[in-house]
Amino acid sequence: MTAMKMDIAHVAKLAKLQFDEQEAQKFEGQMQSIIDMVENLPPLSDSGALIDPENPMIMREDKVTDHCKRDELLKNAPQVQAGCVVVPKVVE
Amino acid sequence: MLNDNYEMVVGLEVHAELSTDTKIYCGCKNQFGLEVNTQCCPICTGMPGTLPTLNEKVVEYAVKMGHALNCTINRICKQDRKNYFYPDLPKAYQISQFDIPLCEHGYVDILVDGEEKRIGVTRIHIEEDAGKLIHDDSFAGSLVDFNRCGVPLIEIVSEPDFRSSAEAKAYLDTIRSILIYLGISDGKMQEGSIRCDVNVSVRKKGDTEFGTRCEMKNVNSFSGAVRAIEYEAARQVEVLENGGTVSQETRRWDDAKGQNFLLRSKEDAHDYRYFPEPDLPTIVLEQEYVDRLKEQIPELPNKKIARYMKDYGLNQGDATLLVEQMEKAALFEETLACGKVSAKNVSNWILVDLSKYMNETKKSIADTKLTPQKLCQLIQKVEQGVISNTAGKTVFEVLLVEDREVDEVIEEKGLKQISDSSALEAVVNEVLSNNQKSIDDYKNGKTNALGYLVGQCMKATKGQGNPAMMKEMILAYLENH
Amino acid sequence: MELYQKTAAELSKMLRNKECSAVEVTKSVFDRIRQKEDTVGAYVTLTEDKALEKAGEVDQKLAAGEELSPLAGIPVGVKDNICTQGILTSCASKMLYNFVPPYNATAYDKLLKQDMVITGKCNMDEFAMGSSTETSYFKKTANPHDPSRVPGGSSGGSAAAVSAGEAIVALGSDTGGSIRQPAGFCGIVGLKPTYGSVSRYGLVAFASSLDQIGPMGKSVADTAMLYTAICGRDPMDATSAAREYPDFYQNLNSNVKGLTIGIPKEYFGEGIEPEVKQMVMDAVKLLEQNGATVKEISLPSTGYALNAYYIIASAEASSNLARYDGVKYGYRTSEYTSLEDMYLKTRSEGFGDEVKRRIMLGTFVLSSGYYDAYYKRAKLLQKQIAAEFAAAFEGCDVIATPTTPYSAFKLGENIDDPLKMYAGDICTVTVNIAGLPAMSLPCGMDSKGMPVGMQLIGPKFSEQTLFDAAFGYESLVGGFTTSAVEK
Repeated sequence: MTAMKMDIAHVAKLAKLQFDEQEAQKFEGQMQSIIDMVENLPPLSDSGALIDPENPMIMREDKVTDHCKRDELLKNAPQVQAGCVVVPKVVE
Repeated sequence: MLNDNYEMVVGLEVHAELSTDTKIYCGCKNQFGLEVNTQCCPICTGMPGTLPTLNEKVVEYAVKMGHALNCTINRICKQDRKNYFYPDLPKAYQISQFDIPLCEHGYVDILVDGEEKRIGVTRIHIEEDAGKLIHDDSFAGSLVDFNRCGVPLIEIVSEPDFRSSAEAKAYLDTIRSILIYLGISDGKMQEGSIRCDVNVSVRKKGDTEFGTRCEMKNVNSFSGAVRAIEYEAARQVEVLENGGTVSQETRRWDDAKGQNFLLRSKEDAHDYRYFPEPDLPTIVLEQEYVDRLKEQIPELPNKKIARYMKDYGLNQGDATLLVEQMEKAALFEETLACGKVSAKNVSNWILVDLSKYMNETKKSIADTKLTPQKLCQLIQKVEQGVISNTAGKTVFEVLLVEDREVDEVIEEKGLKQISDSSALEAVVNEVLSNNQKSIDDYKNGKTNALGYLVGQCMKATKGQGNPAMMKEMILAYLENH
Repeated sequence: MELYQKTAAELSKMLRNKECSAVEVTKSVFDRIRQKEDTVGAYVTLTEDKALEKAGEVDQKLAAGEELSPLAGIPVGVKDNICTQGILTSCASKMLYNFVPPYNATAYDKLLKQDMVITGKCNMDEFAMGSSTETSYFKKTANPHDPSRVPGGSSGGSAAAVSAGEAIVALGSDTGGSIRQPAGFCGIVGLKPTYGSVSRYGLVAFASSLDQIGPMGKSVADTAMLYTAICGRDPMDATSAAREYPDFYQNLNSNVKGLTIGIPKEYFGEGIEPEVKQMVMDAVKLLEQNGATVKEISLPSTGYALNAYYIIASAEASSNLARYDGVKYGYRTSEYTSLEDMYLKTRSEGFGDEVKRRIMLGTFVLSSGYYDAYYKRAKLLQKQIAAEFAAAFEGCDVIATPTTPYSAFKLGENIDDPLKMYAGDICTVTVNIAGLPAMSLPCGMDSKGMPVGMQLIGPKFSEQTLFDAAFGYESLVGGFTTSAVEK
């Protein structure tokens, strides 16, 4: 496999991270060496979907459990108003 | 209307909320309209360390829908994470299904102008709903309500098989009625229980290749879907006619403005980074379980409508109205099974008189005292001329609220029709001798005077005279004098 | 001998024989904390008041003759990525610097039900990403054997606390070696249980398919006691296995006769310090002399395991850590102009460099066009590695390897060289990749005066076999003396 290049700016945008120029440079080098390391994988025949039917899931019964009190739930929120979490105005 | 040289190619993605007791991945109540952030827990608000557990009812309901839409059920399937940031998505990923949906390769037959058309169903998968953002102009920010987070959804993806907005509308109506018939969704559009995304492309008639498609979001009603499709198809034709090319993009429908707007182009399309959800093992369903669910599927509304039209000669409108509410269809069929009676008449009684009562009182059929046997007897009495249609309505009103026999009510109210010709002749003669003006009017061409004279006769017999016989007597008199 | 120097098994007997009270044990541990914490720095949060209160309750129950768990009244430290209702759970990150969960992790809940005494929340690498506890936002933890050296990581706080006597036992979590490596560096015993045997509910996720909570203690018995307390099916965790578990502590058997030990040559190759190899082989020889059979085996995909591990773990982490966006809990940047700006600043300011590297790598390997080349191939390789282990276990009961290529390194030595840091995980990550149980137990001190760990790996759900083999070794060496309780 040929060495993959990582588009730091694009990946950072996807991950919602930002780096200043100096950081970006340091990261670029580090990330490239990490990618050079991990991309050394043996050739494997594609054996299809990533499923594991040997370990089937046990599902949950459709039964209501106690919900959390709103105050408890929002206690950790940085900004709360009218029983809701507040975020900067979203315009879609 | 679309330019005659073009045809539209439309596919639909329908999201339906399932009416389970609890959410898809936690035990919170699945209920609409409760106070903000009161139906959520650390799991559905994505708190650190919490984990999803799949509600078995969600799988059951989705498999039932799969059967109803003639799908292959993937007994072994998985769930995947769809990653994107948005404030109404607390985990910053939606648990959905990517490459192995629970159901796929199905179809559904819809009725358009009385003709059946088969629409391909690509897939049905299960996923969780997101929360809601509340925008208030008086306030600088947006508010997040997590109550809807984790409400179970099925997404039903159709093949691009629609060639008109009417077909799309018929499909949406059919899907909705099937959901309701299966008892797996309440189908309430106004509560957002069913939403859809629309994919539209156009091509020159006769072309075999599809054109470039655009996806439209924010289509919140079925009638809105019709408008959105018409608008988008016309927009694309205009682009092509002006020598342009349609570019693949996502657009947002604004129903109030009757227009759509560019949301993002192909280059800006999200990279959702799907990967198998590591918190949820593989779903493995026993064949026996899948088969058992298939046996529970009732006759579906689209099939019922077609049967009512074919077997009973009902028109599509009436058949659809009867089938829309399962209890009306049941009453219709049971009434017909009780005795010889005209299907058209049974349909009329249910769709006119009973529906009116149900609308006014907000009652269901089960809330009334009416039974199929009594409805059948009542209609037979009218058909046989034992009572008049008007008298029938009087009896019907009693049967709705009291557990009484049809004959008993007719007797008690003195509603039996007088069909003794000598008795009726006396009444007719009396009325004619008192209404010379009407007789003259009739002879001067005012034929509606006849109706007036019959009415006077009915009045004289307190509604019990056989109107057909009296009308005949009056006509005979008018012709001979 | 001070109470804090004793094992849980010893203290449990003493409490029942009224040789000491739970309050005395707790006080002894907190006195030790006051003595050592300035140099060791094992804790992010101490909960002394709650601990003393709980110890008092235990004493009352004991006085009333109530039947209690053998762990009742035993002070336990809990890694700071395990949710504790009403107690800060920070994952040693600025991102969760103020997060107080309104719920308990199932494993922690089980400790409470056993009437254990919680000393506090142990320091760790930020979000469990690291091998030295140096990526903690709050503080560095020192190795109690040598304050200039790291305790290992990511469960470095838990390991250092147990080794120093600042807790009797502790809970850690292990995604790629995070229990075993610090246990090895600090001279104690640590078990990474079979994936699915301990509930992950309330364990702040790093890599969901690899994470597992596990016990750490000064002796095999303590570790077995704590594991017995926390394992079991949990309906809140869909990945937890539906099965019954025995009392591993009661079942301990030190007889190693008939035990077959596999020695994979790939784990004794280049990169492993000769002294470490020698000490592990000496330990194996001791078992052989006492009736165990030793055979060489091969696990050919080992060389790729680290790569697969970093791809899978980072991919899952990039998704698991996306929820830290400043909206619902934890850190939110102070000034922002839009939602996007808030996301970017919150996440860039709230996460440390190592976490960012993993998120970037994980986002990259999942992104459009790269998924098949990286993530999917790594997952397929994972199956192959698991199959190789399964085949190996047809011919042996346990596999012995070094826990780490070297003993504890100096603080700051590897922190700016991610690749060198990652390479240290070479012996441990395969176990997580294959979902197997493995423990690290001390096999002596090296020439630097630092402990060296031996790793025993078993087939899925073979914890009893591992405990017995380790207990056999512990008995043969006359008990472990590699902790720092006497320093």
